[in-house]
Amino acid sequence: MSRVDKTEGSIEKAEAVVDGVDISGHWNRMLEPRWITDYPTEAMDWVTSLDGGESLRACYQCAKCVPVCPVEHVGSYGPRKLMRKVQLGNNLMEDPDLWLCTSCAACLRVCPKEVDMLQIMPAIREQAVLEGHVPPELAKAFENMGRHGNPLGQPSRKRIAWTKGFDVEVPIMSKIKRKVDVLWYVSDYTSYHPRGHDAARAMARVLTRLGIDFAILGQEEKCDGDSPRVAGEKGLFEMLAEENIATFDKYEFDRLVVMDPHAYNAFKNHYPALGGDYNVLHYTQLLVDYIDRMEFSETLDMEVTFHDPCYLGRHNGEYEAPRKLLEAIPGVKLTEMPHYKATGFCCGGGGGGMWLDGFAADHQSERLSERRVKEAVEVGAQTLAVTCPYEPSRFEDAVKSTGNDGSLEVADIIELLDRAMGLSES
Amino acid sequence: MAKDVLIVGGGPAGLHAARNIADIGGNAILVEQRDVLGGTPDEARYAALTPHLESAQDALDEMRAAVIDRPEIDLRLGSTVLESSGKAGDFKVSVAKNGGEAEQLDVGSVILTTGFQHFDPGRETQMYGYYENPDVITLVDAEKMLSKHEFVRPSNGEKPERVAFIQCVGSRDRRLGNEYCSKVCCGIASKEAIEIRKLLPDTKVYIFYIDMRMYGYWENQLYWPAQEEHNVIYVRGIVTEILKRGDRLLMKGEDTTMGRPMEVEMDVIVLSVGMEPSAGTREMARVFDIEKNKYGFIHTPGEPMDPVSTSVPGVYVAGAAAGPKDIEDSIGMASAAAMKALAMVRSAG
Repeated sequence: MSRVDKTEGSIEKAEAVVDGVDISGHWNRMLEPRWITDYPTEAMDWVTSLDGGESLRACYQCAKCVPVCPVEHVGSYGPRKLMRKVQLGNNLMEDPDLWLCTSCAACLRVCPKEVDMLQIMPAIREQAVLEGHVPPELAKAFENMGRHGNPLGQPSRKRIAWTKGFDVEVPIMSKIKRKVDVLWYVSDYTSYHPRGHDAARAMARVLTRLGIDFAILGQEEKCDGDSPRVAGEKGLFEMLAEENIATFDKYEFDRLVVMDPHAYNAFKNHYPALGGDYNVLHYTQLLVDYIDRMEFSETLDMEVTFHDPCYLGRHNGEYEAPRKLLEAIPGVKLTEMPHYKATGFCCGGGGGGMWLDGFAADHQSERLSERRVKEAVEVGAQTLAVTCPYEPSRFEDAVKSTGNDGSLEVADIIELLDRAMGLSES
Repeated sequence: MAKDVLIVGGGPAGLHAARNIADIGGNAILVEQRDVLGGTPDEARYAALTPHLESAQDALDEMRAAVIDRPEIDLRLGSTVLESSGKAGDFKVSVAKNGGEAEQLDVGSVILTTGFQHFDPGRETQMYGYYENPDVITLVDAEKMLSKHEFVRPSNGEKPERVAFIQCVGSRDRRLGNEYCSKVCCGIASKEAIEIRKLLPDTKVYIFYIDMRMYGYWENQLYWPAQEEHNVIYVRGIVTEILKRGDRLLMKGEDTTMGRPMEVEMDVIVLSVGMEPSAGTREMARVFDIEKNKYGFIHTPGEPMDPVSTSVPGVYVAGAAAGPKDIEDSIGMASAAAMKALAMVRSAG
């Protein structure tokens, strides 16, 4: 028997080897448990007094939320654990856990008590924002959105940089001065990010080929504001929404078509309360009605798996349109991952996660996007199809960091359609 | 002469009410829509009764024998009540043999014993894949196997090595609208777990729960023996998803006492489904124009002092037509309802 050393409040074995690993001495130190000496009610009373925070108290600790919470997979997190933290007196204001929720809605889907983290988290975050407890990366993104109308901090004139230098004309509302069928809201990452440009150009080519009468807002377009809303900047959301609504109201159009599921969620579910009520479609919902008119000249011959964006799927119930488009492409064989449709696994970008990459990395064992990429690789996919502008860059980074560079391609559905219709530049 | 008491439903509560009325000198008409008596315990082939594990079929046989061939009890099998009019002491009720012509009956009072139906786990957004995985079954399916003294994996007929029960399926759920505890599932799961362990001593049996609700004596009649004598493993933490892994089932949940997520393989998973009002209960609420509670069970406004009177004078309820009940509750209510129903017809002359 190895010697056991006891000191005040702790105990350790002088020699210990577990599974061949030497954990002698302080490596195996066991601390006495910290006693719970009180169950203060102030934190719970405070959270549930916030507009949106009310349902936290309803949690009865069944734990259905824990195995479906993506953040739980890379740490110890599930909503029922957050509820216990609050019950023990932590109001989360200065807790890193406040910023790790991606608002993916997996917990709300399974919660028998309808504890709504999609309202609880923004309610507490809003208070943290007011008090200045915001991770610096996120604060910077908020500042960019407020000052420049996009989280990347790019000037608005560069929003149309992608329209230059390729052979399709992209009409701009302020220039054409007439009613259009489709007002295409391009969104921030599609407009500014180099990988977004590929999707934007593909979209312009496909719309043109299908003879759809469309135009964009160009420099007048601004961030939809949905992610900052969930990240706690409700004031910023309202400001951006009012600006966008004023712009939309200047023009006439039948359908508002978006690339970004977050924008879809904002326009469909949150703009009406602020006076902006439009016939909103995600681009996959628009194009699914044009499948008969698509002339495919290429066979793509690839194993594809599809990542359901949280804000298109669980939040808004659209699972079929993207799949129908993929299945229409000659040669594409669609294989589902174990987590798909309603059980889809979050990429980590929602709810402010897009601008908390470094912060999340400091508090999680792995990026959610890396988990997802591994799942795609496990089912033998060659292409991970996506349909949210947050995702190409997130998943491409994850493909590299998980060592799958060269074996898994990430592509927006619009890029695959563009390729199969023989329109793409490459 | 006092009028007859109409009893609707031939399960344990209805059988007991009819027998009680006859025993104290009254006359009853017992209407049952199936061609046999015994209600849900018979239809679902219950094996053993909670809590003492005596044979359910023997107990039902005894109850049936007590009402058959008694001059005071007019049995109407394969029949349903179509309409009703009148008031306490003087109801005109039309009853028809299924598919046949309606007959008018004069009755003084009514006891509804139309019971419950088991929750359909397919309603729960297919979260547990009940209709996709043959090895995901319900308490009722398990009971049917146990009544034949066997317990196998439905997918291949083989003996399971590991069996899990998931509690609160279809109960205590705001989203489903079933906010109530179904009261008996914790006890029945423990009872079935004991039966499986007795049949298959090498099979590991687990129960995953939010909280075990063993009111009264069920604590040491079922829970403690299951744990202490039959080595049933109780884990606090409910399961959210069941996925396929090879030819086994993978359960995803959280062990909440450890605060750690779990992914555990099982061969058979039993969903502890709760109770919902039966179609007959909903229909009789319409026929007699009585109030239902928000869950569709028959409302008993006099609770807690009067658990059997409904919102309509002269119409009483017993058993699970009034909400989740065990057989013990149902029998007690049946006697209370029989007393009130008979007093009503006698006072009306």
